[in-house]
Amino acid sequence: MDLGVRAPLLVLGLPFAAFLVLAVVAPLRRAGRAAGAVSILAAAVAHVAALGVWRDGARRTATWAWIPADGGPMATVGLLVDPLSSAMLVLVTLVSLLVQVYSLAYLGDERAPALGRYYTYQSLFAFSMLGLVLSPSFVQMFVFWELVGLCSYLLIGYWYERPSAARAAVKAFWITKLGDLGFVVGIVMLWGATGTFEFQALFTKAQEHALAIEGLGTIMFLIYLGAVGKSAQFPLHVWLPDAMEGPTPVSALIHAATMVTAGVFLVARAQPLFALTPDVLTLIGWVGAFTALLAASMACVEGDIKRVLAYSTVSQLGYMMAAAGAGAAYASVLHLLTHGLFKALLFLGAGAVIHVVGTNDIFRMGGLFRVMPQTGVLFIVGTLALAGLPPLAGFFSKEAVLAGVWEARMTWPFLMLALTAFLTAFYMFRVVFIAFFGRALAPGHPHEAPWLMRGPLWLLAVLTVLVGLRLGLAGGDAHHGPGWLAPASVALALGGILLAWATYQRGVVDPARLAGTFPLSLLDFLARRRYGLDALYDGLYRGFILGFSRLIGWIDRYLVDGVLNFLSAWTLRAGDLVRRIQSGQAQDYVYGVAFGVLLLFVWAQWWRR
Amino acid sequence: MTLEAVSFWVVAAALVASSLAVVLTPNLFHAVLYLAAALVATGVVFLLLDSPFLFGVQLLLYAGGVVTIVVFAIMLTERLVGERIAQTSRYVVHGAVVAAAVFVGVAGFLIQVPLGGPRPSLPGDLTPVIGRALVGPWAATLELLAVLLVVALLGALYFARTED
Amino acid sequence: MSLYGYLTLAALVFAIGLFGVLTRRNAIGILLGIELMLNAVNINLVAFARFRADVAGLVFTLFTISITVAEVAVGLAIVIAIFRVRRTVEADRLDLLRG
Repeated sequence: MDLGVRAPLLVLGLPFAAFLVLAVVAPLRRAGRAAGAVSILAAAVAHVAALGVWRDGARRTATWAWIPADGGPMATVGLLVDPLSSAMLVLVTLVSLLVQVYSLAYLGDERAPALGRYYTYQSLFAFSMLGLVLSPSFVQMFVFWELVGLCSYLLIGYWYERPSAARAAVKAFWITKLGDLGFVVGIVMLWGATGTFEFQALFTKAQEHALAIEGLGTIMFLIYLGAVGKSAQFPLHVWLPDAMEGPTPVSALIHAATMVTAGVFLVARAQPLFALTPDVLTLIGWVGAFTALLAASMACVEGDIKRVLAYSTVSQLGYMMAAAGAGAAYASVLHLLTHGLFKALLFLGAGAVIHVVGTNDIFRMGGLFRVMPQTGVLFIVGTLALAGLPPLAGFFSKEAVLAGVWEARMTWPFLMLALTAFLTAFYMFRVVFIAFFGRALAPGHPHEAPWLMRGPLWLLAVLTVLVGLRLGLAGGDAHHGPGWLAPASVALALGGILLAWATYQRGVVDPARLAGTFPLSLLDFLARRRYGLDALYDGLYRGFILGFSRLIGWIDRYLVDGVLNFLSAWTLRAGDLVRRIQSGQAQDYVYGVAFGVLLLFVWAQWWRR
Repeated sequence: MTLEAVSFWVVAAALVASSLAVVLTPNLFHAVLYLAAALVATGVVFLLLDSPFLFGVQLLLYAGGVVTIVVFAIMLTERLVGERIAQTSRYVVHGAVVAAAVFVGVAGFLIQVPLGGPRPSLPGDLTPVIGRALVGPWAATLELLAVLLVVALLGALYFARTED
Repeated sequence: MSLYGYLTLAALVFAIGLFGVLTRRNAIGILLGIELMLNAVNINLVAFARFRADVAGLVFTLFTISITVAEVAVGLAIVIAIFRVRRTVEADRLDLLRG
């Protein structure tokens, strides 16, 4: 094993070691903050190592045989280090580290054992996500894919005493499983057609045009289904807003920056394979753009700050998917990385607000800028980045996405994305104006969050700005679209900001009247009901699953049990009848023997002939 | 009528009479004595069938051994040779009908089968032949029988021992 | 005397023994009936052995007699054991197995 493989192995191994230590050494876990220190230490060292891997920049693979089979192992485990995975390593370890530090303050009031449990899950999640990113084959990726799903379930349900959190955890688990079903079937079908799970082997075949197999479109569609579930694409996006029942740092890490981008990562990773099936790519692009628009419209009417951010995440994931579908994998991953930074910033900022105000409802916040100016500034930085204003990171990645979609000649998805850009600026500044500048006064005595929370915020904000500047200076990239694109997207963002300002700050436009005019009123009606999708799934679940269960229950209770009860009752009765034969007197039995002998006589004499 | 036929009828009559006495007499002790008589009569039947060795075995084991054991058992369970030694029977009619039915069944089969024919002449004394058969083809059975007797002995000891 | 005579005699003794087994109340009486039945069987065996000129019947008779002795010994031991516990050997009162 050369040195180049040791560093990524270290990145992967440290969180796992932390998880093992916390899981096995119960006293340490129950100590709470000490457990946090272990987990944070592991994440910090892993981050440094990840930075080293990233700077090194070399492509490396290392595999070890795993599932033995005739003629070489059927599957391997290993590491695949390339620019894509090393960038993801840096993002995952960074956000993971910051979120864990932040959680020390955010969850400071938790009981120590619960806090230890939280950090155990966090370490497991970091390990799983890193393993997913480093996977050199579909099988390993699927294993870690399910592991992150498990961690997501555990962390959403962290406050499992709350029924809503438990329900949300189960919902997230099942809905992502729906997509995973397609994923695993697709992997197995792909293996059946090609005989390998390895990315490298598959890509080589794809380049040599040796992958013209029957039904590749179906296979890639099934694999894409996994990404639909994980990355909350329409129509499986419903679990992500509910996942906000988890602690806010969890939402920042798992449901904004890392896990939900796994689907985008999958599409980017398997880009050479998807490139062979343009139909599936087009579908990905359309679904992505539609998801972006749909989620943005729902974010406009949402009053819960975390759910606004959740819908915004769904929307931005749609952006990434649209770019991937347009063949602009670079733009997709770039947006993934920048979005990971500023969305984590936004979530952590929102967490700081929630921490001091004690509510998620933006209409019960107000004037917060005056009492917590630092958080306000940081939140606005994140918002500007999300809205896509230069020179922040979001501007460049969003523009790259739009350029990619435009160049792929996907006009309608492009228009949807452009409209989404406008809506994004609008709904984000709606939150900013209402929560930070609104006239309503927040309850209690809001104050600046502790440094443990503000530190990660500052770091993320600075990184958002720096990455933006870096991208701006690197400028002359081949991925720039037509010249009018940059000004147009800035104009769209500014328009959204202006509308939000006019509506919620100046009061020039009455939001109620705006929502009341005809085409918007219909949209408002639908968006407030989440386009009926949740109700639809609920109905399907109730009507179908519960109905079926009731049928099964009836069969069990009345048919199966009935037959058994009938049998047992009659066995008892028959036994009661027959037991009288057993007199217990030996001579009566001798009579029985004698009668048997006589019967034998009769049989031998007459019946046998 | 030959001497053999005469002696058969006499012995048969004695055997049936003593057997009936065994099952009909109310006195248990008398029943045992009648049983001894029936066993001796059976031995004589063996003698008529040219098996003097079996006659001897019958007398020694049955008439000697079994009857003695039974007498001991009666002494142990009836305490006094007195009133209680009388025994009664139950459902005499039922028993008679069933027993008669069994007899009629067996006899019915007997008359259907051609069993006539003279008795073959004997080569000589059969006792050495029995002895050789016992240690020849039936040696394994003989050993098993020995085991059975030992087990029966132990079983009888176990059942009859006092509880202390 | 032909084989018929011996077999009929044996059948008669067997039936008488069966009658005793069926009707006696006293456990020892029942055992006496069983002895009679076994004797009848022995007569059969010896008769067949004689008329078929086959020594196996004689050997079987020897075995039967020995087994009968063992059976009587065990049976009487059981009777004594029962008597110790129940103070009776009346078969109709021994109905612990009644269903």
